[in-house]
Amino acid sequence: MSVLLESTSTSAAMRRNFWSGVWRVMKRKPSRLVGVVLMAGFVFMGLFGPLFYADPLPRDPSMLTRPPSWEHWLGTDDQGRDVIALVVTGSRYVLLAALVTAVITVVLGTAIGLFSGFKRGRWDTVLMRLTDMKLTIPGLPLLLVLSTVWKFNSAVQMGLVLGLLSWGGVARAVRAQTLSLRERGFIEAARGLGLSTTHIVGKELLPSMAPYIAMNMLIAITGGVYSQVGLFFLGVLPYESNNWGQMLNTAVFRSGALTVPSALGFLLGPLLAILLLTLAIVLVIDAMDEIFNPRLREE
Amino acid sequence: MTKSAPGVRIDGLTVVYKTPAGELPAVRDVRLTLEPGTITGIVGESGSGKSTLALSLLNAVQPPGRISAGSVEIDGLGDVVGLRNEQLRKARGKHIGYVFQAAQNSLNPLKTVGKQLLDLGRSHGVNDLPGLVREARELLGRMGLDGARVLDSHQHELSGGMRQRVGIMLALVLNAHLVVLDEPTTALDMITQANILKIVREVHAERGLTTLVITHDIGVVAEVADRLAVMYGGRLVEQGPTREVLGAPRHPYTKGLIKAIPRLVGDIDEAQALPGRPPTLATVPAEGCVFRERCPLRMDVCDTVDPEARVDAGAGGPRAVACHAVTVKEHA
Amino acid sequence: MITGTGIVKTFKQRGKVLGAREVQALRGVDFAIPKGGAASFIGESGCGKTTLGRIIAGLETYDAGDVVIGDVPMSPLKPKQRQPHFRKIQLIHQDPYSALNPTRTVHQTLHAPLSLRAGQTGRSRAWMEERAAEVLSLVGLDPGSVLSRYPHQLSGGMRQRVVIARALTVDPEMLVADEAVSMIDVSLRLGILALLKDLRERLGVSVLFITHDVATARYIGDDGELYVIYRGQVVERGPVDTIIADPVHPYTQSLLSAIPVLHGLERPGEQPVEPLESLDESQADEGCLFARRCPFRGERCEGERPLLQLTGGVPQEHACFFPERRSVIARPMSEV
Repeated sequence: MSVLLESTSTSAAMRRNFWSGVWRVMKRKPSRLVGVVLMAGFVFMGLFGPLFYADPLPRDPSMLTRPPSWEHWLGTDDQGRDVIALVVTGSRYVLLAALVTAVITVVLGTAIGLFSGFKRGRWDTVLMRLTDMKLTIPGLPLLLVLSTVWKFNSAVQMGLVLGLLSWGGVARAVRAQTLSLRERGFIEAARGLGLSTTHIVGKELLPSMAPYIAMNMLIAITGGVYSQVGLFFLGVLPYESNNWGQMLNTAVFRSGALTVPSALGFLLGPLLAILLLTLAIVLVIDAMDEIFNPRLREE
Repeated sequence: MTKSAPGVRIDGLTVVYKTPAGELPAVRDVRLTLEPGTITGIVGESGSGKSTLALSLLNAVQPPGRISAGSVEIDGLGDVVGLRNEQLRKARGKHIGYVFQAAQNSLNPLKTVGKQLLDLGRSHGVNDLPGLVREARELLGRMGLDGARVLDSHQHELSGGMRQRVGIMLALVLNAHLVVLDEPTTALDMITQANILKIVREVHAERGLTTLVITHDIGVVAEVADRLAVMYGGRLVEQGPTREVLGAPRHPYTKGLIKAIPRLVGDIDEAQALPGRPPTLATVPAEGCVFRERCPLRMDVCDTVDPEARVDAGAGGPRAVACHAVTVKEHA
Repeated sequence: MITGTGIVKTFKQRGKVLGAREVQALRGVDFAIPKGGAASFIGESGCGKTTLGRIIAGLETYDAGDVVIGDVPMSPLKPKQRQPHFRKIQLIHQDPYSALNPTRTVHQTLHAPLSLRAGQTGRSRAWMEERAAEVLSLVGLDPGSVLSRYPHQLSGGMRQRVVIARALTVDPEMLVADEAVSMIDVSLRLGILALLKDLRERLGVSVLFITHDVATARYIGDDGELYVIYRGQVVERGPVDTIIADPVHPYTQSLLSAIPVLHGLERPGEQPVEPLESLDESQADEGCLFARRCPFRGERCEGERPLLQLTGGVPQEHACFFPERRSVIARPMSEV
């Protein structure tokens, strides 16, 4: 196995190794491939989905709140619009907001956790008290209050608020990881060799935590989807654009989907979308650990 | 309840592990007899199969491993390989006591030693729990500990040497007469190690046990064992009375291993590391002698034929060595 | 030359509500390790030898005394200023499994310190590649086959060699090997010890060896000095061979007596010493620290602490009121 590698090409070779490793990890459990395909589908849907439909969506007054049929696979809503079209056009807001939430959660949480755990001392105390304070603020009531003054017109705004509300847990967890990693021999060796803090944090600590962070990112995405869908479902936010939560709200409260069978498709559409997204994330998380761990990647 | 020390006869034992490369043997065709009332030491490096062999004694090899051939006959129990779940669970503890590697992680960190002792008693259907505690306290006292205090302690309140003694107590408290100690002194310092070894010797004699000590350290075996067995790459390459094997090793691996021990006196340059490195499950040669890659006496036949263990009756008991070169030399 | 004078370190254990306890890890230790020389610290676990090693490698602070590297005392310097001095002293960890980052190849591991060095001295990338190969060859590894590997693809012995190679990238003056062979397969241990000895001879690197196994200490070099440490105090100090052959402190004698005897090859010493009880750090600090465990203690030992000095007509320094030679170590059968 010992191939003589020209040192200059090592990093290129390693990159190649990495991707072939990823491929092997994916192949080992086909379910992971399903996850990735689903995930790609959602990304595509969010990016290009709305382009396939007219804006606003055509209404068919003769087809109000219909059960699934060949023409409308998941039926129609109370204004005669196709449920699938609604799910697809609504995905952009939901997914974008969730992504922004996740990025803010993970970036803020990781940065604060790393800094706190690595620096220790006074900084640690201050930041962790801050984190604890943040963690004690109940998210949903605060959101309800916020929504009375702020209408969350854009997905980015929505994501920003949700992100700022949810980094606490990640910060705590990353700090704990950092604390245990910094006692490991290789971090100590790096300090003894006089390597810069940037190197230690960026090249030694972060990669060791990468699977963990990536996992948190994916979990934060589901979290983001749930919270905003929940908010819209509760109806505390005004009807502005298509949105899965909005659909659920209308299906349940206006069309009575819980009692009226013909509105069932209307209810199922967004639920199915959320379910599939969660499934995709769970399956990808399953592959994550092996992808980031060079040892598991090879076996 | 009086029991006598049981004898153990391991014959043709092969344990395989399932890997992506197929089923690979971790222990291959091992034949070993533990005479009643003796201490046997098994010495081997990482990957030699010594721990797997010890687990086979309890038929406790975990998947992906399994015993694929051979038998382990224990007096009073029969062939352990044939025993199934409930019988096995009962046998562990009551007949066979197992002391895990330096007892570092084998104690539950959340429960006091006493609670764990009671759990052990209950799971083995002991009715006289106060009696069990009394027995445990006595055992701990015998090993120089304050029994009552130790039973009230959590794992983290005990030093390495104390944990090891707790491990020995838990192995013996159900009156087992066959005891397996896996790396009893790894991670302990010299004085504690000497202390533990002394305890092992004394408890062995007082309670009339058959003891098996698994270790990578020849010194440990030299201190406690009557008989010594050397494992390499899943094979038993040499065995015999400890003093005879140490005084006049015959297998080139045993010779190399003894030569590689740093000593307190003598020429520094005399001690030498063995060249190469011990094989892993994946690199153990499928045929021929397992040691040939590192062997100074390698011959052509070593590449293809796995040497049989040749048994001689010696003064202190039978000796066996599995090496083509030794056989050739003795017949020349 | 690296010296230490009167080094004191106290650990405060944050304990149950009010029971904050202080543990004296080091009680005023002096040492001197000449350039290219060898020294060994031996003692039981918890005796302070590891803490001292970490202080010398700049990974731990100390409460009193001073470490002098070359002729620069460390105490007056700010942490940032100490760094370049302490970099000359590299610690080799006990556990080669945690000492290497599992997500980085050997190449990456060696390159980080090398590029730092290249940056400081204006050297080229080619120099880094060359130097990486050079340090690997120095520790007896084949650069071609090892550079692209991850740690888990290497055996314990090879990992420890990579760790040593990494330490060599910064041209250290001293390697501090803390139980550096205890987690390595027996048949390979001597190879690592021989490597350390070889690096001393070839590169003039001094080696500080920390262990509980006195026998291994000899293999770093028989010209070295041995420091026997007990509860934070050096109790015996002198040339390795002198102390092994003729220890006078009862603690040293118990350490040596505890080394397993290869019955059949060796004959045990005639006067083995066994401590009366096991180590208990909460024992009182008055008098000789070893008194409670010492089979030879006298009245004086209970009230007065013996200090490390040259007395009693023996060639080594010791901290005992009643130094006496005892034959404790096993000797080969062949030697009668």
